[in-house]
Amino acid sequence: MGVSLSTELFMKTNPTVVGLEKISLKNADESAWIETLEQMEQENGFIPRDVADEIARLLEVKLERLKRIQGKIDSTTHQEIKHHVDHWRNEEGNLIMILHAIQNQHGYVPREVAMELSRELGVKLARIYEVITFYHYFKLQPPGEHEVTVCNGTACYLKGANRLIDEIRVQLGISEGQTTPDRQVHFDTVRCIGCCGMAPTMVIDGKTCGHMKSSDIAEHLAKITAKKETAA
Amino acid sequence: MKTLTRQDLAALAKQQASSPAEWIRVQLDTGGIAAGADSVRTALEHARVEQKRPFSLLRVGSVGYSFADPVIEVQSAGLPRILYGRMTPELVPALLSEQFDGGRLLEDHTIATRKRSLTIDAPVTHILVRDTSSDIGNKTAFFQSSFQEELKRRGLEHVQVVRALDMGIYDEGAVVQLLPSPVTYTNVLAPDVARIVAESVEANRVIDDLIWKAPDKQTRIVLRHSGQVDPDSVDDYLQRADGYQAFAKSLFELSPEGVLAEMKSSALRGRGGAGFPTWMKWKLTRDQPAEQRYIICNADEGDPGAFMDRSVLESDPHAVLEGMMIAAYSMGASQGYFYIRAEYPRAIERVQRAIDQNRELGLLGRDILGSGFDFDAKIRLGAGAFVCGEETALIASIEGKRGTPSPRPPYPSVRGLWGLPTAINNVETLAIVPAILLKGGEWYAGHGTDTSKGTKVFAVTGKVRNAQLVEVPMGTTLREIVYEVCGGVLDGKEVKAVQTGGPSGGVIPEKLLNTHISYESLQELGSIMGSGGMLVMDQGDSMLDVARFYLRFCVDESCGKCAPCRIGGYQLMQILDRISRGRGKADDLPLIDRICHAMQKASLCGLGQTAPNPVISTIRYFGEEYQAYIEGGPSYARKIKRAAVDAATAAPSTAPVSS
Repeated sequence: MGVSLSTELFMKTNPTVVGLEKISLKNADESAWIETLEQMEQENGFIPRDVADEIARLLEVKLERLKRIQGKIDSTTHQEIKHHVDHWRNEEGNLIMILHAIQNQHGYVPREVAMELSRELGVKLARIYEVITFYHYFKLQPPGEHEVTVCNGTACYLKGANRLIDEIRVQLGISEGQTTPDRQVHFDTVRCIGCCGMAPTMVIDGKTCGHMKSSDIAEHLAKITAKKETAA
Repeated sequence: MKTLTRQDLAALAKQQASSPAEWIRVQLDTGGIAAGADSVRTALEHARVEQKRPFSLLRVGSVGYSFADPVIEVQSAGLPRILYGRMTPELVPALLSEQFDGGRLLEDHTIATRKRSLTIDAPVTHILVRDTSSDIGNKTAFFQSSFQEELKRRGLEHVQVVRALDMGIYDEGAVVQLLPSPVTYTNVLAPDVARIVAESVEANRVIDDLIWKAPDKQTRIVLRHSGQVDPDSVDDYLQRADGYQAFAKSLFELSPEGVLAEMKSSALRGRGGAGFPTWMKWKLTRDQPAEQRYIICNADEGDPGAFMDRSVLESDPHAVLEGMMIAAYSMGASQGYFYIRAEYPRAIERVQRAIDQNRELGLLGRDILGSGFDFDAKIRLGAGAFVCGEETALIASIEGKRGTPSPRPPYPSVRGLWGLPTAINNVETLAIVPAILLKGGEWYAGHGTDTSKGTKVFAVTGKVRNAQLVEVPMGTTLREIVYEVCGGVLDGKEVKAVQTGGPSGGVIPEKLLNTHISYESLQELGSIMGSGGMLVMDQGDSMLDVARFYLRFCVDESCGKCAPCRIGGYQLMQILDRISRGRGKADDLPLIDRICHAMQKASLCGLGQTAPNPVISTIRYFGEEYQAYIEGGPSYARKIKRAAVDAATAAPSTAPVSS
C-alpha cells in the first residue's frame, strides 16, 4: 500500500518524468519494467536518476517477498523430509528407501532436498551423495516432461536396439541420458525391462511398445510432441 | 480379516477347492500388461457386466508364454481349459459369443495344451491344426479345409476345425490336436486326414503311427502355480495351492532339524548361479551362535535378458514368502528381507501385498499360529546396481550404503547383515522350498542328474521363435530347450551359439548343444548356469559384438573398488573396440588372455571374476572371428559392418509371423 502511495506522491512532485506511472509493484512484472526502461532510454537517451532509484527500491521490496516465499517452500521441503524420515526413523539402513521416496516424489533428488535430508538424518551430505551417485536409479537432474526409454538388454540388443537408439539420437538431437533443451523429452537406455518376448522394446511415458522398428520412431515421437501442442 | 489358526489350516488342507464353473483368467504380469493385457481385462469386464454373463473374471500371473502375450485362459461349460494368446480387446465380443454361446474356439489364437493324452476318452468336439514345418508356404489353411470337407462328407459338421497359434511341437510337419482328450498327431499328410476323421473322430480310436508320444520336456515345480493362482489373494493361495501347508508342517510336524534333513535329502542347490547346497547354507547360519539371524531373498535380477525371478514374484509371491518363512524357521531367523529391483514395480507391489495379507492373518508377526515362532518380512529396494546381486554388496545396500562388495571370508552366514549371521537365497530357491516339504526331499531328488537335482527355470530369449519361460529337469540338453520347447530360430535360420548366465557366463557353440545341463557341465564349457538367462544367437550375430556387449555391461557396472576389475575391464574393452575397428594387433589375443586371467584370479567379487567369461569363451570357440578382424584390417571391419546394416534393412520384420 505504502509503495503505491509513495509512487503517486512521486508522480505529483515530478510531473516531467514520462512513463514513471507505469512502474509500480501492482504490475510487478519485470518484463514490463524492462520495457518501460528501454522506452525511456530511447526517448531521453538515458534513464533518469529518480526512476532508477524507484526501480531499485521496488526490486528490493520484491526480493524481500520472494525470500519469504522461498522460506515457505523451504518449510514445505522440511516437512516432507521430516515425514519421510519419520516413516523410516526406526529402520536401520533407511537411507536408500528414503531416497526412493524422494525420487518418486520429485522425479530426481534436488540438491536442497538432499541438504535438508542430511540435516534431518544427521548424516553428512557427502555420505548421501556417495550413495546417490553409486546407484544408477537415482538422478540428480530433473527429468523431462516426457520420457523415452529404449531397452538395451541382451535380447533387444540382438534384435537391433542400437538402430532404435541411433534413430532417436538423430530425431531428437540428443544422446542417452540427456534431455532436449526445451525440457520436453528425456531419452535414456535401460538394462532390461523384462519384456524380452517383445524385443526390441521401448517405453514411452510408461507405456511399453514392443517389436519396434527404427522406421516407427518418428511416428511415436511425433505423438509425444502432438500431445504437448494440444495440451498447450 | 480374522487371524488364521492351526485348525483353520488343517481344515483347509482337507477341503476340496471349489472353483466357479465358468471363468476367464487374464495373465497380468509385466510382460502381459506391456502387451495390453489390461485393456483385454477391461474389455472382458465390460462385456461381462453388459451381457450379464455368469463367468468369473480372475487375475493370475503368467504361465511364461512371452511370445503370445497377452495370454488368457478360458473355462466354459463342456470344454476343456483353453489358452488364447495375442489377445486384443477387439476379439472379446467374438470370444464370448463363439465360446460361451456356441462352444466354438477362436481361430488363430488358440494355444494347444502341452499335457498330451494317449487315449481318446470322450467324443472329439474340436480339432486344432497347425503346419509347423516353416512359416513360409504354410499349409495350415489347406489342412483346415481338408478336415472340414472330410467332416462334412461324413456328417460331422459339429466338430470345429481351428487354426492354432502354437502347438508346442515344432518342425514336425502338420500337427493336429483333438479335443477334449488332447491326443496329438504329428507329420500329418493329406491322405491322413480321412483316416483321422474315420478312426479318431468317428470311432474314438487312436492312430498309432501318427501319435506324438514324447512327453512334454517341461516339468513345472517352481512355476507350479504360475497362471493358476491369483497372486494378489492369499485366500486363493490357501484354498487352491495348498498354501502355507508346508509351513504348518514344518512348524508342527518337523523340527528345524527335520526341515534341514528334508532339504538335505532333496539336494537342492542355490538357483542364483553358484549352486551352493541350500541346506548347508541354512545349517551354517543356524550353527552360528547369535541373538538374531537374518534371511534375505535376493531378487535383484540384474542380468539383461533374464526375467525368471520377476515372473515368479509376480505370479506366485506367496510361495516365495512361504519358502522364506520355512527357511527362517529352520535356521532360527526372525527377520527377512526381500531385496527387489526398483525397476520391477509390479513385483514389489505384489510381494508387499502378500506380506500385508500375512500380517493380517497372523502368518507374520509374533507367535505365529501359536507355535512361539516369531518372524517378519520387509522389502528393500535395489537401485539399479548389478553388483548388488553379489551377496556382500547386497548386504551393504540393505544397510543403506554403497553396494560395494567386501572380501570373503567371513561369509554372510557367519557375519552378514549388521554383522549377524545371514542366509541369502535366490527367489527360485525359496519358491521350490514349500514344494519339497510337501512332497518330500526324495521326490524332488528324483528329478535331474546325479550332481544337480531338480528343475531349473530358464528365460529363453534372443533369436528364438518362441521366447518364453521354460522349466526343465536338470540334464535336459540345450538342443531340446532351444529346438523342441522353443521352436528353434526365427525365420528358419541356424543356431550359432547359446549364451547362458548373462554377463557372467559364456557362449556355447552349436556343436556342443547336446550338452546335458548341470552346474558342472556348463562350467566345463566355460559358461555358468547363472540365474537362468538363455540367449539364442543365429548365424548373423557377431561373437565379437556379443562379447563387447557383455563386457561393456560389466565395465559400466563395476563398482570400482578393486583394481583388476576396474582397470582390467576397461583395458579389455579398449582392446576389443580396437579389434572391432580392424586395428587389432597380432599380439592382442595373448594380451587379452593375460588380462582375463588376472581379472579372474585377483578380483574381489564375482562380478570381476566372471566378467571376462564372455570374452574367453568367444575366443575359445570363435577365435577365427577375432583372427579375421585382426588380419583383415579396417576394410574387413567396414565390410562386416555394412553387411550387418544391409541385412537389417533387407529384413526389417523381426516380429514373428502369426499365421
